[in-house]
Amino acid sequence: MTHSWEEMENPVLAVQRFSAWYGKNQVLRAVSLDIPEHKITAIIGPSGCGKSTLIRAFNRMNDLIPGFRAEGAILFRGLNIYGPKVDPVEIRRRIGMVFQKPNPFPKSIFENVAFGLRVNGFRGNLRERVEWALRRAALWEEVKDDLHRKSGYDLSGGQQQRLCIARALAVEPEVLLLDEPCSALDPVATAKIEDLLRELSSSVTIVIVTHNMQQAARVSDYTAFLLLGELVEFGPTREIFTRPKDPRTEAYITGRFG
Amino acid sequence: MKGAAGAWERAVVVGAFLALPLALFTLGVMLVVTALQAGLWTNMHALEAAGLVLTTRSLNLPDGTTLPYVAAAQVREGSAAAALGIARGDVLVEAGGRAVDRPLAAWSSLAALPGRTLEVPLRWVPRAEVLLGTLQVRWEEGQARVVLAAPAPLAMGQGLHPGDILLGVNGTPVTGTRQAWEALVTAARTGAVPAELTVRRGEVSLVLLFDPRREGELPVERNVWRAWARFLTRIGDPRYPEQAGLLPALLGSLGVVLVMALVAFPLGISAAVYLEEYARTSRLTALLELLVASLAGLPSAVLGLLGLEIFARAFQLGRSILAGGFTLSVLILPLVIITSREALRTVPKTLREAALSVGATPWQTVRYHVLPYALPGVLTGVVLSLARALGEAAPLLLLGAFLYVNYAPQSLRDTFTVVPIQIFDWATRPQDGYAVVAACAILVLLVLVLLLNALAILLRARFQRRWAE
Repeated sequence: MTHSWEEMENPVLAVQRFSAWYGKNQVLRAVSLDIPEHKITAIIGPSGCGKSTLIRAFNRMNDLIPGFRAEGAILFRGLNIYGPKVDPVEIRRRIGMVFQKPNPFPKSIFENVAFGLRVNGFRGNLRERVEWALRRAALWEEVKDDLHRKSGYDLSGGQQQRLCIARALAVEPEVLLLDEPCSALDPVATAKIEDLLRELSSSVTIVIVTHNMQQAARVSDYTAFLLLGELVEFGPTREIFTRPKDPRTEAYITGRFG
Repeated sequence: MKGAAGAWERAVVVGAFLALPLALFTLGVMLVVTALQAGLWTNMHALEAAGLVLTTRSLNLPDGTTLPYVAAAQVREGSAAAALGIARGDVLVEAGGRAVDRPLAAWSSLAALPGRTLEVPLRWVPRAEVLLGTLQVRWEEGQARVVLAAPAPLAMGQGLHPGDILLGVNGTPVTGTRQAWEALVTAARTGAVPAELTVRRGEVSLVLLFDPRREGELPVERNVWRAWARFLTRIGDPRYPEQAGLLPALLGSLGVVLVMALVAFPLGISAAVYLEEYARTSRLTALLELLVASLAGLPSAVLGLLGLEIFARAFQLGRSILAGGFTLSVLILPLVIITSREALRTVPKTLREAALSVGATPWQTVRYHVLPYALPGVLTGVVLSLARALGEAAPLLLLGAFLYVNYAPQSLRDTFTVVPIQIFDWATRPQDGYAVVAACAILVLLVLVLLLNALAILLRARFQRRWAE
């Protein structure tokens, strides 16, 4: 499963024959792909294809699930994040994540964003950095008057998800992982997030899992199609959606299953 | 199918309608009965504050039966009762217009009178030397004769003269000095007054009407607050229920529960955090869970034996508050672990992921997020276990806590008693008044436990979080 990209310069994340199990159930089968820097890579596929497992493997979030086991390697700038001496805490600081359901802390908006900075020993102007992160997440104008007064729970669903993005951005991760970030949002909020991702991609590498093919087509530069734990096809989004090489990809994107 | 489901549903409803009123009824009856019993305490204390401590005595009647009567066990110097002329040994026969045969009757008749400050009409038979004066026994014709050698003013005032020989009271022959007085007490107790005294004066026999009772009005102040304040804040005298005090038991309970809290809560919460947040599911954790559950099911008396062997003997702590607190902490530990784990489980996994995904360590995640969000639930468990520990008597009894101590414990190494054991002690004493005092202590314990449980409910309601969808 190798592809040759002329345009692919030094990948940020290189997945090499990566397999994963939950107990006896194998969910990823020798997946290999490269995530290019400062691009948006979408992972698509039907439910249960292993796309969430793959994205959660990038920052070792699967470690929390009892019975999880992995083989193969994922290189993050050349370093295997499943190597023996790697601290998952350090990996997660450099590879941020936004989840399917907005999960703000039940604390003030300010504290939501500041938490990552505090635990990482940030020395600098906390206020400025929080504002910077909220601006990057396109939330600043909506919440600047309520930073300390409103809880993360007081915001709307779309605002909550942008707050989660701001929280992830505050610690300046090199990669931002988004696991179906819009599945709980209405179309207007979804459009806002998509615009935001396009803006962010100039400075952050983004990996997004989505079950919505239109979304993948709209926002991503590259698309990976997973089926039953196998990587079926990976390439520039335009090619995947216009000239899929694999008949299964074509069947999926034309809506014949999934 | 449908019919069967309907039957089950009806059974559930009937069960609820039986169980809930039963629980309410039991609690209600218990509250009312104890409150009624404890209500007498104010009157007991009022009489004691007026100087009068009562006790039950009895005398043997010629027909072989015994007649109980109420005697003044103590009359405080300078008190209202002393001013009235009542002294230790006097027999109280009437209070508030009612005949009294036992202390409970005296306190009850006081309770029947209205008002906060009142003059209680009393009738009493003074002790022999005050009532009759100095008596002598003279042998005449092979028979003992009681001679009034120096009659008291009370006797003189009713027509007795020095040198009179007392032959009988209400037809009962008088054969001894003590028996002469007892015959008069019997007359007063049975209402056969004025008594007919058969007296020989010189060569003349005569019958005199004689009333052995004195009467007066005892000023009494009935103050609920003062009565309860005294009860709660004094060490008390173990001999008389009117002078009972709950202070040693309260301090003992406080000390034991404090030690228990300092040991069981940090350990229990730590164990819960470890099991929920750190431990991977393995045979070891399964075994740990089994042990915790089994510990929770162990009879508390057995834990008392464990406390005796380990803390009192092996650690040489003796029957101290410290040993009691440690023993209770073993009892409470599984409760704290189980409730804390439940509370930790209510914190959504997504919040742990949120914290971890910005680079927080597992400890930071627990410290800044999971534990604070679970705190109301943890505190609810803590408060409920405090209430449970407060009511435990069995393990402490087996540890060797005393039934009664007549001092306030000064340090954690002191021997002690606790409120439930004190209740057990008082409730099993046969004398009048201890049932009242036990009821008072039960009320105190009940109020403490109700307050703690109310606090737990308040905590839960106040801090209950609604997690985001």
